[in-house]
Order: sequence, then C-alpha cells, then structure tokens
Amino acid sequence: MRFFTKAFASLLTLGLVGLSGLVSAKSSTGDSVLVVLDPSLKRENYSVFFSRLEQRGYQLTFRAPKDVAPAIMEYDVPMFSHIILFTPETKSYAQDITPQSLVSALEQGTNLLIALSDKQTPLSSLATEFSLILPPPGTPVISHHPFPRDAGVDLFTAATIPTGAAPMFSPAIPDVWYRGVSHALGSSPYLVPLLRAPAESFAADSTADGAGADALVDAAEKGGEGLWAGGAMGLVTGFQTNVGSRAVFTGSVDLFSNELAKKHLPLGGSGGHIGGAPGNNRWAQDVAGWLFQETLTLRIDNVTHHRAGEDFTPETYTINDDIVYEIQISKYDIRAETFVPYSDIPDLQLEFTMLDPHVRTALPAVPGKPGTYQVAFRAPDRHGVFKFLVNWRRTGWSYLHSSVTVPVVPPRHDGYPRFLSAAWPYYAGAASTSLGFVLFCALWLGGDVRGERKRGGKKVE
Amino acid sequence: MMLSRSLVWLLAAAAVQAAKIAVSSPKVTISGKGAGVLQTETLSLTQKSESLTLGPTDTLKLTFQLTEGTPDGKGVQPHQTFLRFYDAASGEEGIQPVRVSSGGKAKFELNMAKPPPSLPPTSDAPLSVSLILGSFVHESAKYELFDLHVPASGTIAPHPDATQFAPQPEITHTFHAPQALPPRPVSAVGTALVFAPWVVLVGLMSRISIPLPNLFSTETLPFTILLGAFEGLLVWYWVGLRIGDVLLYGAVLAVPTVFAGNRALRATGRWRAGKR
Repeated sequence: MRFFTKAFASLLTLGLVGLSGLVSAKSSTGDSVLVVLDPSLKRENYSVFFSRLEQRGYQLTFRAPKDVAPAIMEYDVPMFSHIILFTPETKSYAQDITPQSLVSALEQGTNLLIALSDKQTPLSSLATEFSLILPPPGTPVISHHPFPRDAGVDLFTAATIPTGAAPMFSPAIPDVWYRGVSHALGSSPYLVPLLRAPAESFAADSTADGAGADALVDAAEKGGEGLWAGGAMGLVTGFQTNVGSRAVFTGSVDLFSNELAKKHLPLGGSGGHIGGAPGNNRWAQDVAGWLFQETLTLRIDNVTHHRAGEDFTPETYTINDDIVYEIQISKYDIRAETFVPYSDIPDLQLEFTMLDPHVRTALPAVPGKPGTYQVAFRAPDRHGVFKFLVNWRRTGWSYLHSSVTVPVVPPRHDGYPRFLSAAWPYYAGAASTSLGFVLFCALWLGGDVRGERKRGGKKVE
Repeated sequence: MMLSRSLVWLLAAAAVQAAKIAVSSPKVTISGKGAGVLQTETLSLTQKSESLTLGPTDTLKLTFQLTEGTPDGKGVQPHQTFLRFYDAASGEEGIQPVRVSSGGKAKFELNMAKPPPSLPPTSDAPLSVSLILGSFVHESAKYELFDLHVPASGTIAPHPDATQFAPQPEITHTFHAPQALPPRPVSAVGTALVFAPWVVLVGLMSRISIPLPNLFSTETLPFTILLGAFEGLLVWYWVGLRIGDVLLYGAVLAVPTVFAGNRALRATGRWRAGKR
C-alpha cells in the first residue's frame, strides 16, 4: 500500500515538474538577474512583475544604487547575465555602475533594462548614445484623450504594437497603462520600437490651458527638436547590439508596477478589450522575454562548403568551379529550453565577396532537412581571396554573421581543357609521325636484304 | 515633484464638468505666390472634406474659431490645438501646434516655399490632416479635416547600416565568354590535309611489291612490339598520365627494349653479312 502511494506521489511530482517546465522559459544566455532598485521604489509595488520572472526560472538579486555589493562586474567580467535598472531618478551610484561599465557589460553579452524619467540622470545621457532623443527635463508625456478620465492627464493608455510588426509580442495584447516620459527615435536601424506613444500625446510641463498653449507653440517654433509629440514618439524602445546583447530603455517604471497592472482599462478606450484588464503584465513579460534572449534568438550552428559532386571541403577552389554552400541555423525554443533547427527565414542571402560582392544569391531552406539552407553557384572567373559572407539583420531578431575565407586560384597547368577541336590537325600530325616511325622500323627490320643475295645468287649459278 | 504635478492635474480634471469645445467656421484658403487666391473651402467637421493640392510655391491658410459649448460662447484657448499630418503609406507623421489667441481665434499658415520642420517627409501619397483638441477643463476632440497633396520632399539620407536590414539586390557575375575556337569543319579540313600524304604514300606503296620475310621473325618482332608499346605509352601520357609516371613506365619499358633492339640489330647484321 505504501509502495503505491509512494509511486503515485513521485508520478505526481513528475507531472508537476513537467507542467512547470512548460510554464517556465529560461533565457538562452543565463538566468542571473541583478535588479538595481531605487530606494524610493518599494519592491512590493512591483511584485507581480518580479514574481512572474522568478516563476519563469530567473534568479533575481536586489540591491540599491549606492550598495557596493553585488557589483555588476568584477575584474572586467560581468557577474550577471541581465541587469534591470529601476533607478529613474538616481543621480549618483556606487563606483561599479557608470555608463562606461554598463556599455562594457553590454559588449560582453549582458542584457540591460534601463528606466528613464523626466529628470536628468547619468542614464539619460547614456540613452542619447543609443540614438534616442529625450525631451527637455521636467516634461513628462501627457495625453488629453480620451476625456473624461478619473486620473491625471499623465496617465493614459497606449496601444501595443501588433505581432506582425513586432514578432516578440504574443497576439492581441490589450492596451497598456503608461505614466512617464517619451523620447524621439533617431535614425539608427538598430533600434527596436516596443511601445509607441498615442497620436494625441505630447511632452509638456504646463498645467493650465492658456499659458500652456502658448508655451507649446513657442517650443515648436523655436526650432531644433521642437515639440515631442505624436505617434512617432517612442515610449519603450529596445536596442540590439552587434554582439547580440539587447538593451531596453523604458520611459516609465510605473509601467511594470502592480498598480497599473491591476487598473482596468477605461470604457471607450482605443481598440480591444474595453473596460477589461490592461495588457501591462503580458506586455512586460513579452518584453522581458525578448530582452533576456528567449524569443527571436537565432544562432549559426555550422557552415560547410564544397564543390558540387564532392563532399569534402577543399583547401582552394579554382575559378569557374561549381560551389555548394550550406549553413545550419537554429532558434532558441522556449519550451524545450534549447536551440532547435529553424527553417523559416525567408530572405537569407549569401555573398561571395572579394572587397566587393561578386555574387549575391538567396539562400533558401532545404525542404527535407530542418534548419539547413543551401545554395549552389559558380565561382567567378577572377582569382583571389574570397569570403562566403552571410550577414542577416532584421529588426528585433538576433543578427546572423558568418564569414569564411577561401582562396580561388587560376587553373593549374593541367587544369585547362585538354582536347580542343582546333588542335585536330596537330593531333593528326603527331600521330602520323609516331605511326610513320614505327612502320619504318618494322619495314626496315623485316624487309629483305637484296644486296647480299646478288652475290650469293651468282655463286650458285 | 512628479507626484505633486499629477495631483494638480488630477484636481484640475476632477474640478470641472466637461464642456465641449465648439469649432466654428473652419476655413481653408490656398493662395498661389502673387497669383491671389486659388481655392477656398469651408470644412465640414462631421465628414472628411475632399482632398486639396498644394504646389511648390502655394500657401495654405487654415482659420477657425474655438468657443465654449456653442459657436456663440466665450472664446477658449485649449492646452492642445494640434494639426496632425500623417502619411498612411509610409507611416511618417508630423505634429504642428496651432497658435490660438486668447479669444479663441486660431490661424495656421503653411507656406510650401518655406515648409515648417513639423511637415513630415512626403512622397506622392497624400497627407491626412486632422485636428486634435485637448484641454484640462474642456472635453477633448479629434476631427479629420482633409487630405493634402504636397510636392514630394527630398529623401533623408538613411543611416549607413540601414541597407543591411532588408534583402539587398541580387548580383550575378558576368563571366568571360569561353575562348572562341575556329569552326569544326575547318579543323576537319586541316586534319584531312595532314593525312593527305599518307594517302599518297599508301597509294604508291601498293604499286610496288614489298617482300617482308622477316617481319614476324622472333629476332625482330619483340623490338617492333616494344616500339609500339612506347608509342602507346606516349598516347597514354597525352590522355591522362603525368610526367613522373611516364618516366617511370618509360624506364621500365626501356630495359627490355634495349635487349630486344640489340638482338634485332645483331640479327640484321648477321643477315646482311652472311645468311642469304
């Protein structure tokens, strides 16, 4: 009897573990997260966000900006895989957190989530380096639409970007509550917009109609950046670096708070779930999933190249050779917590380059083999040192870069075509010479010796 | 600081009942440079008016009156009186605040010769112009005004890395034409010419009788055969071998050839000296 209960208990735990495995989604780069929390912000106010992260398998470590331990880097090696900086108003940090150390951590693969506010802090000058243009200090983003509202104008709902334009989000996320600052996006293609401001919103610090209106018009006419307004502004923007690490700059910490996650959407709001729960929680978890390299994370597993018809990789190619190039790509699967082959990249391209690309072709997926992309092409008839270059970059996805150098040599002395139709007379001549020589030798050796026979003939008679 | 400001906004919003802002006599005038008025339209706020076109030197003037509640009410100056220019095709957007006097008179002028920086980059697609009104004390509103066709702007120089974020055009290498050879019939004629003396030779040789008593004798046949083997080795070299192999096989063949040749020559010497 005890045996059966024990077996049943172990089966139950196995089932639960399996179920939690479906729910948890660990990052492809590590689960240690350092959360730097401003002393004025209480950890309990963000418990929904943090506890959901912990449920997904991340180990959170909390500290204040002025704490000395745990440091983000020791001896220039990052100590955590991800850093969340909920310090929108902190002006001075401990020695280990500086914009330079954060960038250095980013270069070594650490992902960052940085909160901004309408105050000028060292992190807002860091945001400028990432091609984000912040409004003047003291101008949070406000919206008078829709009216009337039970809260101040600085709290409004923003529509989320649909999955088609931003593949890191799950479909049909309701509007999110927002209270904070906005920023204008620079022209850098490395930016990944995650939340855009509504068209009616704008950044202002005025509190009354008359003087405020004049101030806005004057700000717009002043020139320079003018007025931060409209749907072109971003509220939360991500940045993907060349190394593969990701950074997210959010203009609001309240976006992640329990208060806004539980506040119901207004009736008559824009789009979707009128009066229902807001999308703050789901949206925040999707952003964390993208930031911590769970979603849209690709990597190159293997690259091979060989001549058509052969299966080994030669040391050099000859001009005009038929070359076959194959690359294997996999994507991080959240449920399996590992990289699985991925065949759905529609526009992968291969360049065969020597200073300039000589050949650029599409790399289609091979139907039978998951994750394999293959193309066959002919090497140009120029010799030199070429490289197979795959450089695939798309907004939101991790970048694929592979460069394999290969020499292409002119044909060897015996690599040229050997039997030419123009040479037939010369073949005929050479063959005639050989044949003639052998025939002559045979005839000379085999022939009669007439001279001596005359003498012998006389004697006989 | 932010908390206190939100409190002010909260109080301001809660303090008043929302009165609507009435937009009366919205009028659009397009005038050419020096040529006077080209077009005047009175806009309807309930539906979008037909589209307008601005030339490169035209000026567009938009005027309207903002009053509280009804068109006869007191003039208001709301916090937000914005014109939004939006290109649905490219997603470009520009926001232009409209200056409203304290009596509620709003006037906006757009001179295409000196466009304001709030006008977004344009192409052939029209810009949809809408009016956004927002206030701390009155009800906010949004009106779609009209579509505006403006001359296409110059394109902004994109970021140098931007080309990598989309599929780039395919490049195929143009190969040199293969080496031109003379036509095959010409080569065939040449080959025939080279073989022509053989025809003559065979013809002449067939007229005379050539006795060959020692052709297959055991003294001379090995040498003849080995000579033929040498020629065969050269043909094999031409078809596929390399010099090293040829020299090796040639050296191997040379040994019996030397002995066979000596034997054959000794035999012919004997024959010429004495045998017959």
